[in-house]
Amino acid sequence: MNSEGNSTIPLSQRLILFVTGDAPRTGRARSNLSSALAQTGLDGWPREIDLLKDPSQAIAFGMFATPALLRADQTLDRAVLYGDLSDERALRQFLDEL
Amino acid sequence: MKSKQSEQADMVLVKRATGIRSLDIATRGGLPAHGATLIIGEPGCGKTILGLQIFAGALARGEGGVFMSFEESSTQILRNTASFSWGERLHDTSRCQVIDAHGMKGTEFSGAFDIEGLLAMLESCAGSVDGTWIMLDGIDQLLRHQPDQNRAIEQVAQMNDWCEQKGYTLLLTGKHSGDRLTRPEHLAGIEFMLPTIFVLSSQLVDGRLHRRFRIAKYRGTQHDPDELAVLIDNDGIHLPYADSLGEEVPANSERLGTGIGRLDDVLGGGLYRGSTTLISGQPGTSKTTIAAAFAREACQRGERALFVSFDELASRIVRNVASVGIDLQTHIDSDNLALHTHTSWHSLAEHHFMALQQRIDEFKPDCLVIDPASAMLKASSAQSPQIALERLLERTRREGITTLLTSLSSNDDMNDESTLASVSTLADTWIVLRYQIRGGERNRSLSVVKSRGTAHSNQVRELVLSSGGIDLADVYQYGTEVLMGTARAEKESEVEAARQRENRERDQHHRILRRQIDKTQLEISQQQTELERLRAELEDESAFHGSSDQESARHNENIRQRREPEHKISREKQGTQHRREGDQ
Repeated sequence: MNSEGNSTIPLSQRLILFVTGDAPRTGRARSNLSSALAQTGLDGWPREIDLLKDPSQAIAFGMFATPALLRADQTLDRAVLYGDLSDERALRQFLDEL
Repeated sequence: MKSKQSEQADMVLVKRATGIRSLDIATRGGLPAHGATLIIGEPGCGKTILGLQIFAGALARGEGGVFMSFEESSTQILRNTASFSWGERLHDTSRCQVIDAHGMKGTEFSGAFDIEGLLAMLESCAGSVDGTWIMLDGIDQLLRHQPDQNRAIEQVAQMNDWCEQKGYTLLLTGKHSGDRLTRPEHLAGIEFMLPTIFVLSSQLVDGRLHRRFRIAKYRGTQHDPDELAVLIDNDGIHLPYADSLGEEVPANSERLGTGIGRLDDVLGGGLYRGSTTLISGQPGTSKTTIAAAFAREACQRGERALFVSFDELASRIVRNVASVGIDLQTHIDSDNLALHTHTSWHSLAEHHFMALQQRIDEFKPDCLVIDPASAMLKASSAQSPQIALERLLERTRREGITTLLTSLSSNDDMNDESTLASVSTLADTWIVLRYQIRGGERNRSLSVVKSRGTAHSNQVRELVLSSGGIDLADVYQYGTEVLMGTARAEKESEVEAARQRENRERDQHHRILRRQIDKTQLEISQQQTELERLRAELEDESAFHGSSDQESARHNENIRQRREPEHKISREKQGTQHRREGDQ
């Protein structure tokens, strides 16, 4: 359930999408996430970190598989959803908790 | 365009030593220098320890690496390795980076994922520590989330290709459920994708955990395909049976004293240097005493003797054999003798084997005693514990270490001369000690069952212990019986008394005869004197009677002449003269 307080924070500060260049699964993840965001009515786009360009971020955030969607809102428990986000139900549930 | 030489070099598998000597022997040089090695096994088999130990070895050689765990936190990893002698090396952050990936456990997955980000991160970390080693511990914890199992396997192959390309040595560990498959759970088919797979397994035998190691696959190189025992101690993992054998020393004809002079005589001068001797016998037959005499004799020759006792404390052995005149303490003090106690039930047979190997490596003995070697057979082992002993003897024979083993025979079976049946075939000399019970006492007997290359005596002898030392005595053959101890002493006394009595009787008889001879000679002498006297008397008498007769004749003639007329006498004289002439 979206909290009223969090809804004012830009999505780029609440979500981080870890990608690897333009790999096919990265593309699929972007597409799946875009659809899900549209369906949930969330505006904006997560911050993207390309681990091929900045691999040190993998250790910094503990992200060792891509694509990965990290809930970066410090007011909530840390949560990660790995994969190309093709499981719509899991993705919707993840976004609903923002 | 690559040159032909370069292409040929690419065809040769380059290996990188692990720093674990026995593993490098089993793998004939180490792991593929450029590529992945998968270590799989049940939980608790030592996969992570093996990987970390290899890692620590690399760090010790000045190499660097990245360790990444998908199962445990970096704190847990470092804590777990702190008890190992090499654990501290993993704290060297300039050469070693430990990455904590266990946080991925419990996270959600939504579809397939890539590992390019992981590889990019690993390359970055390896670069920061100038590392060529990468270990991904529990990679199955990540890949099991891949919806398509084939994709997961492809990603393992991708890691291998990446390592070949980048020049990394990659170690992957993964669990399997103990079904003897050479792959982790969820990764069916991975065994076809990787060139090198090690399998660790475990088994409970007699309530003890036995770990095993096997190289299930090592493409393009010779390796030891056998399942090998695994031991873990403070130095980490060992594969004791993977040790290579050293050069074989030539057979030696030199005879070494056993410390018992008459036993040396029985053996044709002693034991051959570098030979193996088995002494078997029931409890209390003086196996340890003979072994101690052998060790002392070696030390007195200026050699080094290693005495390994199972289950009997070293101090007690020193004390006990001192009571029969065998001083070991002096040689212990001079460092010629090392006397160690091992507890047979406390360790696996493989542990005992490795401990003995280490003792030999450290002390470098000329002579070795294992008393009793049969105690090793009591130790638990997934394989036959005899293998441990046979492997040890293989080494001592090759290295020319003169070895004496004792073996405890069964109390129940008097004919069971050795519980080390297989070792007795390896032994060059086999001495059997037994009890002979007679007349309410036990006496020890010694016989040589075999002694290769020696014209040894086949006689049973009595083993005699006293405060003056240990010796052999000839037994007393009494009919079909062999007498020992008091019976032998009594019989010997009896025979000696009879002999002395016979001597006395003979001497007495001789004295009687000599007296009779003397007496007879005296009588002969007396008779001779009498004979001479009689002869003299006879001669005197004869002489006397002759002159007397002539006188008497003259007297009678005078008388007759006075009585007869003159003419008659003249005629008689003429007649007498005529008769004389007629006779002529």
